Amino acid sequence: MQVILEKIYPIKAPLPACWSVLSDITELATCMPGAAITEKIDDSHYKGQVKVKVGPATAAFAGDIEVQAIDADAHSLTLLGKGADKGGSSASMQLTATLRAEDDGSTSLVGLADVVVNGKFAQFGGRMMTSVSDMILGQFAGHFEAKAIAAAQTSPTAAAGAGSVAGQEAATSTPAAPVVAGELNGVAILWGLVKNFFLGLFGKKA
Amino acid sequence: MNAPDRKAALMGMGESRLRKEDARFIQGKGNYVDDIKMPGMLHMDIVRSPLAHARIRKINKERALAIPGVHAVLTADDLKPLKLHWMPTLAGDVAAVLADEKVHFQMQEVAIVIADDRYIAADAVEAVEVEYEELPVVIDPFQALEPNAPVLREDLAGKHEGAHGKREHHNHIFTWEAGDKEATDAAFASAAVTVQQKMHYPRVHPCPLETCGCVASFDPVRGELTTYMTSQAPHVVRTVVSMLSGIPESKVRIVSPDIGGGFGNKVGVYPGYVCAIVASIVLGRPVKWVEDRIENLSSTAFARDYFMDGELAATTDGRIQALRVNVVADHGAFDACADPSKFPAGLFHICSGSYDIPAAHCSVKGVYTNKAPGGVAYRCSFRVTEAVYLIERMVDVLAQKLDIDKAEIRRKNFIRKEQFPYTSAFGFEYDSGDYHTALDKVLDAVDYPALRAEQAAKRADPDSPTLMGIGLVTFTEVVGAGPSKMCDILGVGMFDSCEIRVHPTGSAIARMGTITQGQGHQTTYAQIIATELGISSEVIQVEEGDTSTAPYGLGTYGSRSTPVAGAAIAMAARKIHAKAKKIAAHLLEVGENDLDWEIDRFMVKGNGDRFKTMKDIAWAAYNQPPAGLEPGLEAVHYYDPPNFTYPFGIYLCVLDIDKATGETSVRRFYALDDCGTRINPMIIEGQIHGGLTEGFAVAMGQLLSFDAQGNIQGNTLMDYFLPTAVETPAWETDYTVTPSPHHPIGAKGVAESPHVGSIPTFTAAVVDAFSHLGVTHLDMPHTSYRVWKTAKQLGLTR
Repeated sequence: MQVILEKIYPIKAPLPACWSVLSDITELATCMPGAAITEKIDDSHYKGQVKVKVGPATAAFAGDIEVQAIDADAHSLTLLGKGADKGGSSASMQLTATLRAEDDGSTSLVGLADVVVNGKFAQFGGRMMTSVSDMILGQFAGHFEAKAIAAAQTSPTAAAGAGSVAGQEAATSTPAAPVVAGELNGVAILWGLVKNFFLGLFGKKA
Repeated sequence: MNAPDRKAALMGMGESRLRKEDARFIQGKGNYVDDIKMPGMLHMDIVRSPLAHARIRKINKERALAIPGVHAVLTADDLKPLKLHWMPTLAGDVAAVLADEKVHFQMQEVAIVIADDRYIAADAVEAVEVEYEELPVVIDPFQALEPNAPVLREDLAGKHEGAHGKREHHNHIFTWEAGDKEATDAAFASAAVTVQQKMHYPRVHPCPLETCGCVASFDPVRGELTTYMTSQAPHVVRTVVSMLSGIPESKVRIVSPDIGGGFGNKVGVYPGYVCAIVASIVLGRPVKWVEDRIENLSSTAFARDYFMDGELAATTDGRIQALRVNVVADHGAFDACADPSKFPAGLFHICSGSYDIPAAHCSVKGVYTNKAPGGVAYRCSFRVTEAVYLIERMVDVLAQKLDIDKAEIRRKNFIRKEQFPYTSAFGFEYDSGDYHTALDKVLDAVDYPALRAEQAAKRADPDSPTLMGIGLVTFTEVVGAGPSKMCDILGVGMFDSCEIRVHPTGSAIARMGTITQGQGHQTTYAQIIATELGISSEVIQVEEGDTSTAPYGLGTYGSRSTPVAGAAIAMAARKIHAKAKKIAAHLLEVGENDLDWEIDRFMVKGNGDRFKTMKDIAWAAYNQPPAGLEPGLEAVHYYDPPNFTYPFGIYLCVLDIDKATGETSVRRFYALDDCGTRINPMIIEGQIHGGLTEGFAVAMGQLLSFDAQGNIQGNTLMDYFLPTAVETPAWETDYTVTPSPHHPIGAKGVAESPHVGSIPTFTAAVVDAFSHLGVTHLDMPHTSYRVWKTAKQLGLTR
């Protein structure tokens, strides 16, 4: 089961702060719900895991992450993640993420993901793959934004050049608390899907 | 009672006797495999492959075995010492019982877990850790045949000779041919008109409401194995189990209790059965295995998946001169088709249909892919559904090319009544038929000219929101496999059997080699005996499915119960009838030639007051038999049919398509069936309704599809279409009666005709709706989305 996703998420934080999160793979991984880097092999190779829980079924994907390209000038990162759980489901994702500074001082996170899923999730989730991936990436972007805002607050250099919008947002938000994404929660995803479905019926987008 | 009353009281052949089975089913008192509970029974669940093609690096059982209540976890390595990690298939191939070093399709059986209850077993399945190394997946049979395609069956390395001849490629199973190639090619070379159409009959699944399962119970003290099983062929299973396990056949008992639908899905022997039996032998306790819906749809036998390329050669006025067919058949990972041994493509060569075609040739190439094995006859005789679909589509394509009406071209090419018995170009001897009469009856009933006029008006009106399609199919089936000189399964001829015992007080029991799965055998078989012997069907018990009590038979599939077992009943009854006549003559003190049979009694010729009823005779048979005649009144008959039977039908469907949404709506479906002698009209009508509904399901929605990685898509009833009362159209049924000349009661079998015949009728109707725009064929399933795509391509909607 292959899904190609192209997404743009607006991040209310200045570009340097965003880049500081994006370029730190260990930090970046924690934005992914249920994911963590378990071992750094070298600058471009890591080991990680993702725990997924959908109803009574749990899967722990353990796998390798390879940073294929990192370009500080273009603020772009390409990585390939491959993993399998012990029950035999497997997944791979090639992700290219690029940051783009916006006029109002915020940043756009532009993502292109090519996801291949095999096993149970591909069997049962075929029809929902796109929606589920959307939800997961949406949660990822949310966590990413929180981390970037936190980074902008704590690091004056990262905050430097921050535009008014991002600065004000950051100032009014609660002081930076460590942001760690929880376990990927199937019930929340399901609820999100149901909500989106009904909103879709009325022509709205969540 | 006068004669008509006595006849009516028998509730014999021709009566719409209410189904004997329903009393228990509608009260929830049926006894299915999953209802069976035995003392000390353990439960089995199966670890299945999440990948379609992969090497197994390691299986780690420890975490599963540590769960309290888990008794065993078995893998192929555990079955190896018993030589049971592979098993023979009905098609002459072997299939993995548990994946040996490699998995070949998603959801393949990799390991089994035996536990105290079903829940522990399911938890333990999750705890079995299997490490896989992914291999390239082959889903498309054409790609499988490319020179550098991945090798799927490493176990067959170096085997260039298969069960059905030479293997030309590592993923090739067989190429099977029938007909006269030279004559056919010659006819095409000189033909005035030729047409060609490629079509895919997609992979579908019979999806019986009850999934497969068994309870295996090995008694280590007696050395006896009893297995309750969802099987359409319990005796064949007994033979196979005995051969595989080494337990003498006399100590193996297979029982098929009530079965919740089979439709071909329950003919084969699945790894789950074998594993449950092995587990019971190893643990010395009963073991139950019942698969869930997803397992049933994903791993047990599918049907069809034929890529067909048909060609017709004809004269300019539409007389068909020759038929040529080339098929690539996707058989999945193991060749586990359930066909008579000599016919790897079943009876596909019935594909010349109801038409008098002088020359014909077909070739079927079987191919391995990374999909589940199967290829069973889903509510049809072996591959007859595919054959009928092909010829009926081709005749329509030819009619369109020549601009001849689709009814007219059929009438022109029908085998005429006086040509029967008719030998087809493929060598089948059609027993009887009267196609012209049946066609006229249907066309009159629906006022066919008016329908075509209405369609023409709709086509002429650009503002019409709908398209109208008329599908017409005039099919002939070949059922009742079959003559043992041609048909066998694992060397066992495809006869069937019946044993009848008439008790002293005049009631009777009949035991059969077949097994009902909803066909109503307990009702209809008794009616045959009632008419033959003059005993009321109400006092005739019919028993099937227990190999310890029933005579050996090949089971129920391919519409063979009535043509084969139904004949065995009549023949056994006639043996009893002959003995009864001797006894009656003795009791009435006349010669046998002085007796007439009338409904339920033997009467002295010319003196209706002197008679003995079958009830009187039964008592005498046990208590005062004539000298020299052994007591008792019973008989066994094994019936080996001299030929197949050839039921036929004329089906017409009118449907409307919403141009904007692609939604189809069946306005009318008229089904005329000729199944020869009709035993129970009500059951026939029920069978036809059921078959039409399943045909509707296949044509309009059912599909087992796979993504490029071999992940099966839509293996739940969320996606796999089972029509309910909401979607099902209203059916109109009709009949003609053309008895089979070689069958003792002239019956031909009916349950599968409506499935075989209706599927191409729906396709024909959908295509017909678009035919004025140049469309000659559309592959199934005709879902709204796919129909809408066609409408969009043709510019009928935005």
